[in-house]
Amino acid sequence: MADAPMLIEAPMLIEARGLTKNFGGILAVNALDLAVRQGELVGLIGPNGCGKTTTINMLTGHLAPAAGHILVHDTPADGLSASAFAARKVGRTFQITQLFGRMSVLENMLVPGLARAHATWTEATHTARRHLDFLGLSHLEKLQAKNLSGGQQKLLELGRALMLDPEVLFLDEPFAGVNPFLRDEIIVLIQKLHAEGRSFVVVDHDIEAIQRLVQRLVVMARGAKIADGTVEEVRDNQEVLLAYAGA
Amino acid sequence: MRAAQIGLGVALCVLVLAFPQLVNAYWLTVAILALFYAIVTASWALLAGYAGQFSFGHMAFVSLGAYTSGLLVMSFGLPIPLGMAAGVAMCAVVGAGIGYTCLRMRGPYLALFTVAFSEVLRIVIVSENEVTGGSGGLEVTPLFHTRSDAPYYYFGLALLAVSLGLMVWLVRSRWGLFFRAIRENEEAAAAAGVKVVRFRVLVFAISSSFAGLAGGFFGHYIGILTPDIGSVDQMGLVVAMAVIGGAESLYAATIGALLCEALVEALRSYEQWRMVLFGALLLVTIRFARNGLLALAFQAVRQRGLRAVVPRKATP
Repeated sequence: MADAPMLIEAPMLIEARGLTKNFGGILAVNALDLAVRQGELVGLIGPNGCGKTTTINMLTGHLAPAAGHILVHDTPADGLSASAFAARKVGRTFQITQLFGRMSVLENMLVPGLARAHATWTEATHTARRHLDFLGLSHLEKLQAKNLSGGQQKLLELGRALMLDPEVLFLDEPFAGVNPFLRDEIIVLIQKLHAEGRSFVVVDHDIEAIQRLVQRLVVMARGAKIADGTVEEVRDNQEVLLAYAGA
Repeated sequence: MRAAQIGLGVALCVLVLAFPQLVNAYWLTVAILALFYAIVTASWALLAGYAGQFSFGHMAFVSLGAYTSGLLVMSFGLPIPLGMAAGVAMCAVVGAGIGYTCLRMRGPYLALFTVAFSEVLRIVIVSENEVTGGSGGLEVTPLFHTRSDAPYYYFGLALLAVSLGLMVWLVRSRWGLFFRAIRENEEAAAAAGVKVVRFRVLVFAISSSFAGLAGGFFGHYIGILTPDIGSVDQMGLVVAMAVIGGAESLYAATIGALLCEALVEALRSYEQWRMVLFGALLLVTIRFARNGLLALAFQAVRQRGLRAVVPRKATP
């Protein structure tokens, strides 16, 4: 396995140690070790059903691991709820966009804004409008979220995650079902947010987009991590080629 | 336009305040019962319409609040306001317990669980004959010792105003936003930092408290409590009132309850056919106006208002 080009000096944001999850008799994630440091932009790839989304679900409190430990800022986070992970500045988007459909775009943004401790309406509204402006959605703030286009829904979901002021953001298939122009727009947005100091873990099947975006690639197959390194290192990894070839 | 709205509001207030002087004793009783149903329906709308928790056991909390107050007043000589407050507290605690127990339940499972709770409570009341009076009923001290029902009307009106005011304030607060987020998507709400468990339990406790308050008022007005108050039939009536009015608006649900109670009584001469008509109205609402008939009416009034304000373009 290739070594990961981690930013050794940067503080650890989130870490999985021996993370395991099974659904009935199926082992979805098997003793996974994964660490994300401040400022990293990590791509998490692998064939369908290899356990990427399950990993994200565990690392954001949406699924309880069967075994293993999760640390956020070097502090144990085992058994915490999804809202507790959000409060610890761990944000996420979903594989299938999950919005509050019959609430307005602005209200979608205000939910995480006001869920933060000591947040005020004025402050949350101001931050929401700033993020909507950044995402190019400010003209739609009164529209019900269900009436947005698929691409706009993806952007709104990203915006909602940004309202948590996350230090690490897990994006589950942000480019799925998105046209090439919007895909490029999302890449630019992620790069800008990364430049501000946020860390990302991006899961997607669009290998070209992932290669353009990330510094580090983690590859999973059959629930286990099979490679962790730079794009170049992973590209030449025989085990990765075999996994994608289905051997 | 603004002056017309103010004029209409003032006229409505005068009509509502003068109502006991304008109608006979029968219609005053109907109005008091309508106020009771309005509080129950609004609190159910808070739970089901805003937070998406489709409970079918809300009338059980009305019953619990009524019996708690009635028993404390009759057995321990507690003043009625304290008895009613105890009923509210009891409903808050049991409501929180039900909310916590139902955390993993959605849709039909939650409805079935709450129906079962409702029936269990009703059967306990029937069975504990020595304490509750069983099917024969429990006689309860009236709230006012007057010949006229007017004090009940004004008290009910005040209870409705305060309850509705508190519920409106709640749904406009951040808690209301979180309730709606949970209704829309619990997983997304959790990812957005909303403490889903806490708010699901809270909405059950709060809405049950209002149901308990209405129950206490009902018991001390009617003067006799029977287990049927918490029956599934009664619950069906409350759901129908909320759905016809509009379960996702507290105002629509409240007005829906007031109008439905008045309609059911106005059609009394048609005997069982009035319930058929009521059922048909419910079916039409569900088929053609899922947000309630009043929501449609509000929308039409708004559009008409806009047309009145915005001048039409001159045709060439």
